[in-house]
Amino acid sequence: MERRDFLKGSAYCGLALAFGGPLVSLPVFARPGKSAGAKVSPGATARAREDFYRGEFLATRGDAQGFAFHCSNCQGNCAWRVFAKDGKVTREEQAAAYPQISPKIPDANPRGCNKGIIHSKQMYQADRLLHPLKRMGRRGEGKWQRVTWDEAVDDIATRVVDTLEKNGLGSLMVHCGTGILSQGRRAGPLRLGSLLGAQRLYPASAVGDMFTGASLAYGLATIGHSLDAWFEAETIVLWGVNAAVTRIPDAHYLSEARYNGARIWCITPEYNATAKLSTDWLPVKPGTDSFLAMSLLHVLFRDKLIDEAFVREQTDLPFLVRTDTGELLRHRDLRDKGKDDVFYCWDEATSSAQPMPGTQGHFRKSLRLGKLKPVLSGAWKVKGRDGKEIAVTTVFERARAEAMKFPPSATSDKTGVHPALVERMARDLAKAEKAIINIGFSLHKYVSGTMTCWAAALACALTAHAGERGGLDTENNWSLGGIGPLSSPKPARFSSGFFSEWENGDMATTMRRHYPDAHLKAALGVDAADLAELGDKFRQTSNAYFGKPRVVLLFADNLLQRNKSESHYRKQFVEGLDLLVNVNHRMDSTALWSDYVLPAKSQYESWDLRGELGYHRFCNITVPPKGLKPIGETKSEWEICLLLARAISRQAVKRGLRRIPDADFLTQAGQDGGMAAPVMRELEKLPEEFTDNGKLNNDEDVVRWLMQNVPAIAPWTPEDAMKHGFVTLNSEAGYNSPLYANRPFHSFENNVYLRQPYATLSGRQQFYVDHPVYLKMGCPTPTALPPLRPDTFPFAFYTPHTRHGIHSQWRTNTYLLRLQRGEPQVWLNPRTAQGKAIGEDDAVRVFNDIGEFFARAKLMPAVPPGSVVMDHAWEPYQFRHKLGLNNAVAGLISPLELVDGWGHLSFSPNWDGNMIAFESAVDVEKT
Amino acid sequence: MARQLAMVIDLNKCIGCQTCTLACKTQWTDRNGREFMYWNHVETAPGKGYPRDWRNAGGGWDGEKLKPGRLPRLAEDYGIPADFNYEAALFKEGEQPLRPTEPMQWGPNWEEDQGAGEFPNGYFFYLPRLCNHCSKPACLAACPRQAIGKREEDGIVLIDQARCRGYRYCVAACPYKKIYFNPLAGRSEKCIFCYPRVEKGIPQACAYQCVGRARHVAYLDDKDGAVHRLVHEWKVALPLHPEHGTQPNVYYVPPLSTSIFDVEGKPTGRPRVPEDYLTQLFGSQVKEALTVLQREIARKEKGEASELMDLLIAYRHGDMFRLTPQREGA
Repeated sequence: MERRDFLKGSAYCGLALAFGGPLVSLPVFARPGKSAGAKVSPGATARAREDFYRGEFLATRGDAQGFAFHCSNCQGNCAWRVFAKDGKVTREEQAAAYPQISPKIPDANPRGCNKGIIHSKQMYQADRLLHPLKRMGRRGEGKWQRVTWDEAVDDIATRVVDTLEKNGLGSLMVHCGTGILSQGRRAGPLRLGSLLGAQRLYPASAVGDMFTGASLAYGLATIGHSLDAWFEAETIVLWGVNAAVTRIPDAHYLSEARYNGARIWCITPEYNATAKLSTDWLPVKPGTDSFLAMSLLHVLFRDKLIDEAFVREQTDLPFLVRTDTGELLRHRDLRDKGKDDVFYCWDEATSSAQPMPGTQGHFRKSLRLGKLKPVLSGAWKVKGRDGKEIAVTTVFERARAEAMKFPPSATSDKTGVHPALVERMARDLAKAEKAIINIGFSLHKYVSGTMTCWAAALACALTAHAGERGGLDTENNWSLGGIGPLSSPKPARFSSGFFSEWENGDMATTMRRHYPDAHLKAALGVDAADLAELGDKFRQTSNAYFGKPRVVLLFADNLLQRNKSESHYRKQFVEGLDLLVNVNHRMDSTALWSDYVLPAKSQYESWDLRGELGYHRFCNITVPPKGLKPIGETKSEWEICLLLARAISRQAVKRGLRRIPDADFLTQAGQDGGMAAPVMRELEKLPEEFTDNGKLNNDEDVVRWLMQNVPAIAPWTPEDAMKHGFVTLNSEAGYNSPLYANRPFHSFENNVYLRQPYATLSGRQQFYVDHPVYLKMGCPTPTALPPLRPDTFPFAFYTPHTRHGIHSQWRTNTYLLRLQRGEPQVWLNPRTAQGKAIGEDDAVRVFNDIGEFFARAKLMPAVPPGSVVMDHAWEPYQFRHKLGLNNAVAGLISPLELVDGWGHLSFSPNWDGNMIAFESAVDVEKT
Repeated sequence: MARQLAMVIDLNKCIGCQTCTLACKTQWTDRNGREFMYWNHVETAPGKGYPRDWRNAGGGWDGEKLKPGRLPRLAEDYGIPADFNYEAALFKEGEQPLRPTEPMQWGPNWEEDQGAGEFPNGYFFYLPRLCNHCSKPACLAACPRQAIGKREEDGIVLIDQARCRGYRYCVAACPYKKIYFNPLAGRSEKCIFCYPRVEKGIPQACAYQCVGRARHVAYLDDKDGAVHRLVHEWKVALPLHPEHGTQPNVYYVPPLSTSIFDVEGKPTGRPRVPEDYLTQLFGSQVKEALTVLQREIARKEKGEASELMDLLIAYRHGDMFRLTPQREGA
């Protein structure tokens, strides 16, 4: 009998005696302890018998060792040792060798979680792609033919050149999704796309991870701290962030901070693993966070828990606002031909309106106030350019007036949070020397999330939490400086992550179906037609690329799993494509619908490097164990891109298409005395350009290039990194603060201590936006917006991040599924379930007017009644009919995120929107 | 003199991530008929646990007599290690979803995050479990083959795979149900406290690889080791179900929890994990242990020093493990 068969349940019928049975009485055969007959002192024979397990241990240790991290959409970035025997990976173990940066702060070891630790199984699992496959039947039908690399690459290249020739450069999309966020493996697809002028999506907005509330305040979306900063904080607010599940390698800093005396406030609708480690849990009702945030501000304003000196200098709160129009008072209001980006305060010293230094239009690029004494409160009149008086007040007054509308006692019914908790949290925030408010990825899954995050930023500003004193943390993470020549040698066409998906998937249709116009109008003051108009305006004013691609080369991007209105999106997106190619190491839901799937190497098989300053300061390296045998015909992303570059070049030359001038981008004039000229897309020389004339031939060359050229990595070499799997970044790694060798990283030290302006219109932390949309919606300054869930279906449906995957990666791993229940579960409060006659593990149908999906019920006392909750990113093919949880999520985008062309609100990695994921209503029934 | 290597698991630092479960799995139980076993696992408490209903499966001591015990069932109580239909779901035509090839009935983490109580006063915590390497092991006493021994140098309890005949009396006798019958080998197996690693100076996979930094390992009589200090000096680390009389050598720092809410939603100051429940698990000393923890946290809040808190914080991962068998005074 085969071992596998033996372990199957059916083969166990004859083993009733071996497993299970009644209570058996047990005589004592041996006495533990000295007098017992047992082998307390094993002799030489017993010793030898212990070799049984010793041999197994040595086998897992193998005969070769490499280093790796797991490059995926997780900023954890943990160094591992990878062991291999006879060319096959046996096991991985955290390197656990990071140095302690200060004796006062716990070290970062052993970084690495339940996903990383099981990749040695994942890489050999039966969903692994081993050979290039070509679709034979209809898309998604599941008929595949194995083809050679040459056949696949030649056919793909032919169709790429076809589309470039017929439909122009923008008709090609080369997109590397968030499945690869490392600088090594990501470089291949980025470089190929950049050389060809292909379009690609902004990844953060495509997956719905933009922090637009932070962008409003700081001009930057991802700001904050290295997570060891938690340890030194006295007050930590974890808002919509389930750190014990999504920041597993750093969660110890939270439990250690608690032991260090910190108050930890966890704000989340369900009692979760993070609420468990916190000192206080606020059971906020889904989607009502902005009301809670406004009540927090209410207490701070009401009780004057405000650091006025900080607020005067570092924020726009002293800026003057016109009482008549609600707009900020500008230079142009006072002078003919005045500037649009010079703003005023009321100066106490001179009793007059004075321009504030450091704004985008002011000649002084510093926040230092000099002799200015800006007043925070008051109302005055200034003389306009036409001689008429203009009544003005301050942003502070406006923000305070807004906050005063939301006393904790007035919002507690809505939020479910008792006023006493809000009062105490506000006090904890104000009195802490160092306080951190972490904003998780859940908040911006609601339209109101922008406001919640912005209000939380204001709470940090009022209490002067910035720099070493803490402040807002959305997720400190930005691109590694100096990689441009490698990944972006020529300009590419950037598409808006959220808006392109919105358009490509025709999601307005499902929005209109799910959200009645009157409902949207009542809640937001904006209906579907207004949104469409805003979209049109966005298309005109934004510098993003617009237009649906015809040929799509996707690397590690699971857009058919991720996108809302799943089956509708898929139909709209896939239909009309000339070619959809998926480069992947496993068969994911997007690969299932592709025309070609190309098998890529995965985490341990190619060289890689990840070094941006994020949760920590270490740059990890992947070096495969020596002698590792290839898995099937897999290739690294770099090799695949080089094959494509060569094939595209051959095809183009065959047709005489040696180069395409790209008039959308101009080379800089005057470099060699000549005129500005269009960027040339050099198809004939594509392979030479891709390899930089033979210098970058493979994944190892790329990693070596990065280590030589990235300033933050100096002076380390790959050989240094190969000692422990990582090197430590130098002070250059910081973006708006230096990275000190012995202190956690904190954003904004350059602004707070050196008084450099912030990347905002006001040059300060900005809490007033007078864009017409914001004025119309009544939110030029932070305010509360209601949940948008329609009442046509009874339950809120929200899907927090899972513990058992990094989005869909590892979601189908056998070993992780065994630690769950093997198939998708929806979490229901027992009372909710009872009302629907649903029992534990029953099969249920979740549905609304967008679609349906099937799963099993899990009864969770920790989950709020009135909600259907599910940990996210199950692959659609894990559900009945292969229709996943997004099949019951309507399309929705936020008008607040559609504005463009106002100061720092201009399409860029720091200003793009989100697909709103948590505002749909569903019903559930037993099937 | 016999020595005892022991472990303290801090339930306030355990985040239920299952990294330890998988560290153990890939180190020991992914092969050779052990696939269904979890020598180390993390279950959500309260709950039926793993194997299902282990608390009601007997075993342990009644004075000097062994209490009767029950063998857990494979599919219903342990769970069959599911295989999945990747080929059919992903590479063939049709709508067949990815599913276990045999329906799953139970597993080591089946009740993840369920717990007990009523919203908003629901509660749960994570309880990692492994062989306790007891000082008075019931398994050892119950073995008619005398195949179970306790090593003198470190107190690790081992089943001699050459002597074991798979009678499974040990499985029934263990009140923690942490011994597993290997149907392929016809022998019983269990956590070996990673002695092949320990002998090379590498701590247990579950402990060393615990990303929550929740586990301390040291000899119980090593007065400088965290285990001695937490168990004997501070008395904040307690054995699980001491009433079974096996004298476990895995100790737990009991969980603190946030306040429950009154009907108005106002925090009452009473912890949401009921003290009675914790007393059932860890004995009556749990109250004092929680008091000490709260007292020492309060000192840190006031900016005062606390040796206990610094010990539990564990500033250096490497310091959580003291495997060198130094004797007292040596």
